[in-house]
Amino acid sequence: MNWLDISSTAFQAAFYLYCASFICYAIAVAGKRWSNRKPELHNRRWGRFGFILAVAGWIGHLTFFFTRWKGGGHIPTSNMYEFMTFLAMAIVFAFIVVHLIYRNNLLGAFAMPLVIIIIAYAAVFPSEVQPLIPALNSYWLKIHVTTAATGEAFFAVGFAAALVQLLRVIDFSRTDKAGRREQKWVEFVLFFMVVIIGFLVSVFAFRGGGYEAKFRQETAHIDQQGVAQTLTQTVEYGLPPIVAPYNSEKISMQPYLGIKEPLFEAPSWMNGVNAGRKLNTVIWSLLSGAILYGLLQLIARKPIAAVIHPHLTDIDPEDLDEISYRAIAIGFPVFTLGALIFAMIWAQIAWSRFWGWDPKEVWALITWLFYSAYLHLRLSRGWQGTRSAWLAVVGFIVVLFTLIGVNLVIAGLHSYAGV
Amino acid sequence: MIHNTKCECGHQNPTGTVLCESCGKPLVENLPLDTPLEMRYDGAARRSQKQNPDVIDRVWNFFSSVKIAIWLIILTLVGAAVGTIYPQESTFINLDDPAAYYKETYGTSGAVYQALGLARTYESWWFIGLLVMIGTSLVICSLDRVLPLYKALSKQQVRKHLTFLTRQQTVLETEIPGDADQWVADFGAQLKRKRYRVWTDGTALLAEKNRFSRWGPYINHIGLIIFLLAVLGRSVPAWHMDQYVSVDEHQIKQIPGTDYYVGNDKFTVDYYKDEELPDNLKGTARAKLYQTQATLYACTQYCDDDPLHDPVLEKVESHAIEVNSPLEYKGLKLYQYNFEEKIRLIEVKPMLVDAVSGKSYGPFDLKMNDPAEISQAGPYTLKLNDVYPDFGLDEEGRPMTKSRDFNNPAFVFLVTGPDLDSKGELYIYFPMPSAADKGVQQQINDSFKKLGSNSGRFNFEVGKMENVTFSQFTTFLNVRVDRAMPYVWVGAAISMIGLVMGFYWHHRRIWLRVDGGRLTLGAHTNKNTYGIRNETAAALAKTGVDVDPKALDNRRNTQ
Ligand code: HEM
Repeated sequence: MNWLDISSTAFQAAFYLYCASFICYAIAVAGKRWSNRKPELHNRRWGRFGFILAVAGWIGHLTFFFTRWKGGGHIPTSNMYEFMTFLAMAIVFAFIVVHLIYRNNLLGAFAMPLVIIIIAYAAVFPSEVQPLIPALNSYWLKIHVTTAATGEAFFAVGFAAALVQLLRVIDFSRTDKAGRREQKWVEFVLFFMVVIIGFLVSVFAFRGGGYEAKFRQETAHIDQQGVAQTLTQTVEYGLPPIVAPYNSEKISMQPYLGIKEPLFEAPSWMNGVNAGRKLNTVIWSLLSGAILYGLLQLIARKPIAAVIHPHLTDIDPEDLDEISYRAIAIGFPVFTLGALIFAMIWAQIAWSRFWGWDPKEVWALITWLFYSAYLHLRLSRGWQGTRSAWLAVVGFIVVLFTLIGVNLVIAGLHSYAGV
Repeated sequence: MIHNTKCECGHQNPTGTVLCESCGKPLVENLPLDTPLEMRYDGAARRSQKQNPDVIDRVWNFFSSVKIAIWLIILTLVGAAVGTIYPQESTFINLDDPAAYYKETYGTSGAVYQALGLARTYESWWFIGLLVMIGTSLVICSLDRVLPLYKALSKQQVRKHLTFLTRQQTVLETEIPGDADQWVADFGAQLKRKRYRVWTDGTALLAEKNRFSRWGPYINHIGLIIFLLAVLGRSVPAWHMDQYVSVDEHQIKQIPGTDYYVGNDKFTVDYYKDEELPDNLKGTARAKLYQTQATLYACTQYCDDDPLHDPVLEKVESHAIEVNSPLEYKGLKLYQYNFEEKIRLIEVKPMLVDAVSGKSYGPFDLKMNDPAEISQAGPYTLKLNDVYPDFGLDEEGRPMTKSRDFNNPAFVFLVTGPDLDSKGELYIYFPMPSAADKGVQQQINDSFKKLGSNSGRFNFEVGKMENVTFSQFTTFLNVRVDRAMPYVWVGAAISMIGLVMGFYWHHRRIWLRVDGGRLTLGAHTNKNTYGIRNETAAALAKTGVDVDPKALDNRRNTQ
């Protein structure tokens, strides 16, 4: 057994332990009424199982990380798969830290599924160890990526706590406009998470079925000398093409649901790297997310938020507010150091400019500005509580956009490939 | 509205004071009744709260407002985001006609984007203006608050007004067992063990810790100001330069805008071997390492395009430039940016061969980018008549050059010397060794012969490889000067120190007084109320007052 085999075994173990941890937390929070024990005792007992499993999973995750480092010869944070798994590991770390301060099981019930989703998302990307391109080959890169991800992980925990807080304070008895709007938006955040799950389900389902379609696409491209060139590429789809790439021709396509041709072609302005395939992925995610959400509705017959809300009564919203704020406050200096200062040091060494207004950099700055606006707003009256929770939710969406959206939408200097 | 600024404790407060500087009693009647007191700056008056402001006061007030600061931050954020919609112009090395490029590549929206100047967002006046305003705001805002806060914290009174205590975030009112003095002393001792500093005044007590963390935000802001100033300083030309040069192997080129020249002595590239690549990348050429062996020259004389003299160069530095390893000389840095594999002749040393006598003369030097006007080969003189760096034929079959790059050079010489007609003979020479070129060379020389321009007796031959210098790679180097960098790092470091101080330590204060066996305790922290409740409850428990930390929370009782 070589290092990489140990590594992937440890990773699987970590994943299952996280799932088990989530189940324990869910039982701790939701199952208080089934057992005949006293609710607090039940909560404490299952919460402790959940926490122990999370720590065990994290140890497995660390094992994965270090054995892959040893086996691959460089720190595993250099492609999207490695980065996402690292982020998940950092979130568990942040969760453990915040949990040790506040010891609240609700946090686990919401942070663990986030970790699980991120690991599943990582698995969408190819998991082979890849060689580094020279620009990435510096220890500052390692320091930068790991610290930035750790800061983001605390923001993720702040997001989880803020979401609990929103679900906690949401008032379903309200029928006025503001109350309705609040219910709608909380439900929308949950829907968004269902869409992400839908994305994962469709990717893994079609991958499991070995689905494949291929297109030949012609793209215009300007080289170093400023000369226009036409490039012919093969674009491979793992999901059935609803949308074909712009200006492309079908090479092969397995029929699905009796459909043999793509339904339409991507618009011409979608001319970036694999834009057609990305659009197709988004459409599939929305479709399967909508179906999944519909099924949940059929079972529950009420908004998901209304299903979760009654289980959250034994914590004060003020405490959730503080947990969320505190997680962000712990994360902010780490993020500043990792995502901005270390990034600048690395850029200075690699490209001789500490700042180049590369989209990825700009979005790191935007994230930072957003959280500094958040921190300043909290100094003002009336911006704690629900409003601040919303900002923490939006902030994490900005983080996700910086990590994933920028790569999907804007192709920059950074070498992570998108799906 | 004129407040009575004299407190009932007898202290005279400046106008704008919210909580009496001495005993803490609220002075402003219209404070919300049922929420904890607003404890920012301990209720001290600030300059921005002056009555009857004049113009300067108004500017001061504008920039000292956190609300304005937040707006500035949000606007900067939105502006920065807009700048990422399409690539910025600065990401292209040569973009002759940006308007056309954006229109062509991104359609109408791209054209509009470019026309609005958004393709240069980060250099635009409004974006820089926002940064300047944030900087101003940082300075004024910090000054406006740090001084009153400093004053308030350095002259705190131990015995506080009851209203002040009962309207903190963390409050306890209860009967205490035993002797009040003894209890206060015991409680103080407990807090000391938790690293509080404790002052007592009879049966009143003040315990405080981590006051320094209050300076964290201000230190952070000072760091940000230094950082911003350094960044703005980069727009001073002498502080900042950013250029690209492409240099073929064995070529020496001037770095534009400087008296330095850079030579590419040798370029090497290493590719990953197939067995080092994962399956999906096998067979692709992935560069593992590329390196320019570079020499930097300083020009000491005739630097500015003197037509009569070649510049005099003095070697000052040499370094193998790789990604992450630039050549550095006196603040000038040369970075490996990119490379291109392209064979180019640099110099050849051909012989002039006389077909009639079988003799060869020379060799003479022929530099591709700077051929000599007159060369000498044995007794013969070669005068350069024409140069075609990138030889081609136009529609009418006449020779022309396709570009100024030396992709396929051709030289026309007028040869004069012994046994030749006095007006000389005309020959074209293609130094590139390809058969096609040699064919064209033969054809043209034949046609010269038909026209009577030459007799066909001469030819050119390079012979040995030592007589050819060629470049296999062109390296692209990025030249930078950045004299603001030290200040950028200092600013960032100070800012980081401030952040850590402000976020990882929390200022905590506990006040209490015992009036006739009844304890009134109030505690305040700027962050982490959960922590201060636990700490207070633990100290209380050790002194015989059992209370659940949650019961101390004054916020919930009031909602
Ligand atoms: C636009 C100009 C700015 C102004 C006027 C401003 C003003 C302030 C003020 C008044 C405080 C509160 C200090 C206290 O409560 O003791 C503060 C805190 C803070 N400021 Fe700024 N600030 C500005 C820009 C920034 C920026 C760009 C950042 C970016 C990191 C920043 C980061 C912070 C942080 C982290 C705190 C501490 C927040 C807390 O204690 O919860 N400030 N700022």
